[in-house]
Amino acid sequence: MNKALFVKVCIGFVLCCLYTLSYQTLLNTRGNQSLLDQPNQTSSLPPALIQAAAGEFKGLVSDFIVLDIGAMVGEEVVRSRDGSFQMKKNKKNWNTINTLFETALLLDPSFAQTYTLVQGFLPWEPVNMVAESQNLLSISAKHRPWDWIPLNYMGFNEYYFNKQAGQAGKYLLQAAQVPNAPSFLPILGARLASSGGETEAAIILLKSMLHGKQDDDPGVVEMKKRMQALEGVLVLEQATANYQKQFGIFPAQLNQLIQTGFLSQLPVNPYNLEYCIDDTGHIFFDSLDCNLPHDQKQTGE
Amino acid sequence: MHHINTLRVLAMSTFLEGVRHKALWAIVIMAVVLSMVNIFIVELFAWDLGKICIEFGLSTVAFTGLLIIFFLGLKILNDDLERNRISLIMSRPVQSWQYILGKFFGLTLILLVAILILGAGTTASMHYVLANYPSFVPPDFSWNTYLLALCSQWLALLMMLAVSFLCFSFASQPFVALVLSIAVYFAGQNMELLRRVVVENAYAGILSGQEKAVIALSWLLPNLSLFDKKLVAAYGAAFSLQEFFLLVSYSFTYSGLLLFVSVFFFNRRELS
Repeated sequence: MNKALFVKVCIGFVLCCLYTLSYQTLLNTRGNQSLLDQPNQTSSLPPALIQAAAGEFKGLVSDFIVLDIGAMVGEEVVRSRDGSFQMKKNKKNWNTINTLFETALLLDPSFAQTYTLVQGFLPWEPVNMVAESQNLLSISAKHRPWDWIPLNYMGFNEYYFNKQAGQAGKYLLQAAQVPNAPSFLPILGARLASSGGETEAAIILLKSMLHGKQDDDPGVVEMKKRMQALEGVLVLEQATANYQKQFGIFPAQLNQLIQTGFLSQLPVNPYNLEYCIDDTGHIFFDSLDCNLPHDQKQTGE
Repeated sequence: MHHINTLRVLAMSTFLEGVRHKALWAIVIMAVVLSMVNIFIVELFAWDLGKICIEFGLSTVAFTGLLIIFFLGLKILNDDLERNRISLIMSRPVQSWQYILGKFFGLTLILLVAILILGAGTTASMHYVLANYPSFVPPDFSWNTYLLALCSQWLALLMMLAVSFLCFSFASQPFVALVLSIAVYFAGQNMELLRRVVVENAYAGILSGQEKAVIALSWLLPNLSLFDKKLVAAYGAAFSLQEFFLLVSYSFTYSGLLLFVSVFFFNRRELS
């Protein structure tokens, strides 16, 4: 009897040891594995296949993917030997992350957390995936017609990363058309669009936004003022283009447009500044000194 | 009148059998726990908390309904065969169409009660989350849309129940009926996607040239994705009453047709 008990205890002990050893080894091997560390599994599946497999639980699968991306990107908190915590940067496979973002947006294109994470990581150093970010943000913008933020992010990326002020202004003006968008967006968008050579588009968008609004509505006076300034810029741009066509160069001063008969008078600037032109033919309505080099110019705002 | 009485007795006995089943209560308890877990799941996210809460709640309802159909519904039908209760029922003046319809109505009632319990649990947890995070309530969120989405979920489950009856009526083994039902469920969830790919896209890859086959298949299989209104409710998107009534009509007529075919197959089945 005692012998039988001894054998059972021995077998139990050996099984416990083997269980502990195998489980601990497994945990050590896996580490902090997430979807992002499994390039040959979920993340490498075509997004359309995941969409088909998710069935009616697409939203939940999308939430899970976004949660996993959010948990693993950025810095990792690790415990050091003295028991304190340190931030540690890990190398990430950003192509895999981009694919996962695509999958998440295919499953639920309206989820705010997806585009927020996209903007938080993809366009910045060291990832530099600006074009991919713009593509993903455009999906969110299309499926969130009530939300001005994705378009705002797109405008920011165009201005900050791609140095495309005109395109940035266009996005900001589109964002400004979303109900409840902040009142500074049309002003900022119009300015950027104008400085990027999109004056006419900026005027049209401002006009459409002013349609049906009263003077005492918030931001309307500022928008009208900005539209008047842009209309002045547009008149000057057209006259300057004609001048350049005839003489082959841009006028050094805007007064030359009057002297040569292209304009009878300069338009009124509602900001009480003089319009001016730089050596590249760019017209400013808010520059304090047009003769300074382009990157040192101060604006009136 | 006699037919209605027979149907009522069969439906009620099926309902009571289901209610007495431990599996039903295990499923319902799991679902109620999931509804409550909703409150904690939401805490894991930073944006669109209202959407996550609504979507998770409706997904819980859908998942529970599927478990009831695949495991409880098919089990009740199979028990009749295995325990030879079906011979007892059929030896009475009960016709096979009455048996099929009675069982179907009984299980429909179970699904309805389960969804009402779960819907109440989910609504309570949603109410808690939306009240605690008012800034994350979707801009056009409406409880009416949520209720319509919940009803759409029940309509989709009704169609799946009819599918499982059809599979049960001709499958030789209960496992085969289960596998077939699950396969039809996945196909039905992607039917709309496939249909739109071949209809709207001239370059549909391997589906090019198979337009007629895919469209024919979309008439045969249940188009379940049309009933999936989770994201509509979660983002407060538009869901018209007209669309809802069309869904009701589609679900009832499709289920009716499948039951009709089920009776046809069931009549030809040899009952040992």
